[in-house]
Amino acid sequence: MDFDFTSRFEKLSGIVHRVASPAAAAEKVAQLCRERQAGCLALAGLEPELTAAIEACCPAITVLKEPYSRADLPAAIDRATVGVTGMAFAIAQSGTMVEVSVNDATRLVSSLPRTHIGVVREETIIDHYADSGPLIRAIIDSHPEQVVISFISGPSRTGDIELKLTLGVHGPEEAHCIIIAAPA
Amino acid sequence: MATDRYPRLYHKIEAALQDRTKSDLLRGCMKRGRDTRAAALEALPGGASFRDDVRAAKERCIENLPRLKQQFIERARQRGAIVHEAATGAEAIAYCLDLARRRGARTIAKSKSLTTEEIDLNHPLIEAGVEVVETDLGELIIQLAGEKPFHLVFPSIHKMAPDVAEIFSRVTGTEVPNDIPAIMKVVRQYLRPIFLNADIGLTGANVGIAETGGICIETNEGNARLVSSLGSCHICLIGMEKIVETVEDALLMILAHPVSASGQLPTNYVTWMHGRSPLGEGPTGDDRESHIIILDNGRSAMRDDPEMREALYCIRCGACMNICPTYGVVGGHTFGHIYPGPMGICWTAGVHGLEVAGDFAQLCISCGLCKEICPAQINMPQMIAEIKHRDAAATGHLLVNRVMMGADRAARLGSATAPLANLALASRPIRQLLEKTIGLAAERRLPPFAFSTFMNRFAKRVSRVATPRRTVVFFVDVYANHNNPDLGLAAVDALEALGCAVIVPNQDVSGYPYIAYGGMDQARRIARSNSDKLAPWVRKGYEVVAIEPTATYALAVSYPNLLRGDENARLLADHTHELFEFLIEQEDETGFHPPADLFAGRRFGFHCACHQRPLGGGSGAIKWLRRRGAQVELIETGTCCGMGGTFGLKGGLLGYDLSRAVGQPLFDLFVNSGVEAIVTESSVCSIQLAEGTAMKVYHPLELLTLR
Ligand code: SF4
Ligand code: SF4
Repeated sequence: MDFDFTSRFEKLSGIVHRVASPAAAAEKVAQLCRERQAGCLALAGLEPELTAAIEACCPAITVLKEPYSRADLPAAIDRATVGVTGMAFAIAQSGTMVEVSVNDATRLVSSLPRTHIGVVREETIIDHYADSGPLIRAIIDSHPEQVVISFISGPSRTGDIELKLTLGVHGPEEAHCIIIAAPA
Repeated sequence: MATDRYPRLYHKIEAALQDRTKSDLLRGCMKRGRDTRAAALEALPGGASFRDDVRAAKERCIENLPRLKQQFIERARQRGAIVHEAATGAEAIAYCLDLARRRGARTIAKSKSLTTEEIDLNHPLIEAGVEVVETDLGELIIQLAGEKPFHLVFPSIHKMAPDVAEIFSRVTGTEVPNDIPAIMKVVRQYLRPIFLNADIGLTGANVGIAETGGICIETNEGNARLVSSLGSCHICLIGMEKIVETVEDALLMILAHPVSASGQLPTNYVTWMHGRSPLGEGPTGDDRESHIIILDNGRSAMRDDPEMREALYCIRCGACMNICPTYGVVGGHTFGHIYPGPMGICWTAGVHGLEVAGDFAQLCISCGLCKEICPAQINMPQMIAEIKHRDAAATGHLLVNRVMMGADRAARLGSATAPLANLALASRPIRQLLEKTIGLAAERRLPPFAFSTFMNRFAKRVSRVATPRRTVVFFVDVYANHNNPDLGLAAVDALEALGCAVIVPNQDVSGYPYIAYGGMDQARRIARSNSDKLAPWVRKGYEVVAIEPTATYALAVSYPNLLRGDENARLLADHTHELFEFLIEQEDETGFHPPADLFAGRRFGFHCACHQRPLGGGSGAIKWLRRRGAQVELIETGTCCGMGGTFGLKGGLLGYDLSRAVGQPLFDLFVNSGVEAIVTESSVCSIQLAEGTAMKVYHPLELLTLR
């Protein structure tokens, strides 16, 4: 690889955690929630086993998960302190996590809470930004109607006051990426 | 209109010149934009070569725009979006008003969009009783302050933390502490209910993709993600020029935009929206709507106009505003209408009319820097010249600009009557009279005219090359011919010393002032005449060498653009060289070694003239000096010294005063650099620098005789 996803994502004020397995990823999520004293956690776009594992690790926390009922959106997700979403792939060169959603509830989970955690499988990290074209095309083509792809490279940031970098003006002020190591 | 437009402009320039804090802030922003861009280019594989890719992609997509737009519309509709084409701003506004009414919308949350500003979409909606809230922090601050954006990327940069705290104290009714993290908390709380309850989310789009029927929206704050995913209805207003062909084109634009603006790759959030995304599961009674309005508003006409088409290549990165010297002093409130800065002149002419653009087009001093930084390599200097030209056709040229365009004729007269002309130019009362009557700045110390021109002296000179290695066509231009023939002859000596026979065939002046002031008919006439006169020599195998950077730029860069497709112009351009670049090449070819201690122990600061940047950035002259033992530092602010050819020779606000204000940071750098003297190849920059720094300023060749 020419580029290192971790250093790039952290340069953009993101935080990377490498874990060995989905179980360890669930444990990491639970730990981050405890540290932030989260009362409510929202999940979306994750593999079902991972969703179950996270739920099992967070017995004391209200866990919101799919399917989200349109009746109580977006207010429901706004209550969550932490949002966790699964990522289709990531780009090392630009420190970008790529989220795919066919339902905007997923987008709310990654954009309303103060802390967002993206879950990336190590084997899906590509090296060069320019090589993402075919992957993006494949995703779009496999959804004949709606699909939203979100590039997420660090937390919400602004320099609008005195050019000083400030995080979390609207969306997450913390962006975490949990990388699940590729099976050996 | 035309009669009071300049007083109005002068008034604004005067106010801007007095507000030092604002222009210092603005310059800080601009410098940061340039520095972060430069740093990003260092790290980017291929460096600045992405500009060639952007240029090629934009040329292709705008060429095929009608087909791509059709394809985009079909695909977007297949995905469930409702697409509307608006020929004018009024049509787009009517569509939004109607939609808001039909949906009973009370609140619209908006993310930053210049295109909505272009058609002033907010006001009619607000008048119709809809609350429109900007969610981009900078835009929100500006909206709450009731002002207009100051900078494209940093709209509220002139507001300090205490100002912002005060604004939010006022709108929230509670005291907001004056530190940035505290302000952020308040902003977050202030906007959250708006995000959650807005009836419609309104965004622009940075890209439309014909291949997929999707749009891309870039932000760092993430506000566009929220605006487009919360309400039950999303409206996207997209300028038709934003439509590209493929996913790969989109990826390129998404990269080129932030790299050029702020050195990022890409912005923190990029949203690729396709179709109307549903929100949550459940009965489909209240399906969300996605509306895409494709705006023309003058764009088709720009596309059909060969002189204006390139403006559609603009990806709104704002890089040109980060380098424009006069913009850096007066800011977007003076240098712009809705669209600010260099591209603002071109876009204002296209969408708000020639006359509005003409109100501030005179602020362009034709330094050419915007073209050099633009990711799409848009030839703004020439487009602006064309706008000045068309504007003048309607309202006439300013007298002082006519005088500057005719400077070569004045110089001919000056040489012919040198003793008298020089006396007159040295006399205060006469200079004051000249400022009053023709607008020539009385403060300028102008170089005297030589009685015998270079042309006369060269004609009497005997060549010292017995067996020439090659023959060089020497291009003289005004200054060396009329004011400093010694310099021209020193250049000929230097060429001959390296075995080059020099000829000075029939030629005209370079004519650049005509471009600078928008005398395009004359500019084209001169370009054709010089191309026709000099190209035959090139066909014989001779190379053309010019001594003045602006003249070299005219021959090597401007002529082929002025005379598109003209073979002579192309040939001349391809074989025109800067003097020192050429001398260095000859030294290398002949193995000539100059005395390495000629300038030993001497330390010079080099000034690169703006027009030299695309030609090699003065590297030839710097090498030439270093080979002779001089210590040379390139000293630069990254923009212009402010002279802008003859701009700084004009009197008053739209000339001398503005020119000095632009130059001041550069003067300071030179004064504080500790070098013994300034070296530059440009005759006009040297006037500016000598006056601004009170230091000695030399042409490299002058150092040979002045040791
Ligand atoms: S040519 Fe120079 S002065 Fe004119 S708009 Fe471009 S950068 Fe500004
Ligand atoms: S003209 Fe070029 S540099 Fe200026 S905003 Fe447009 S793309 Fe950027």
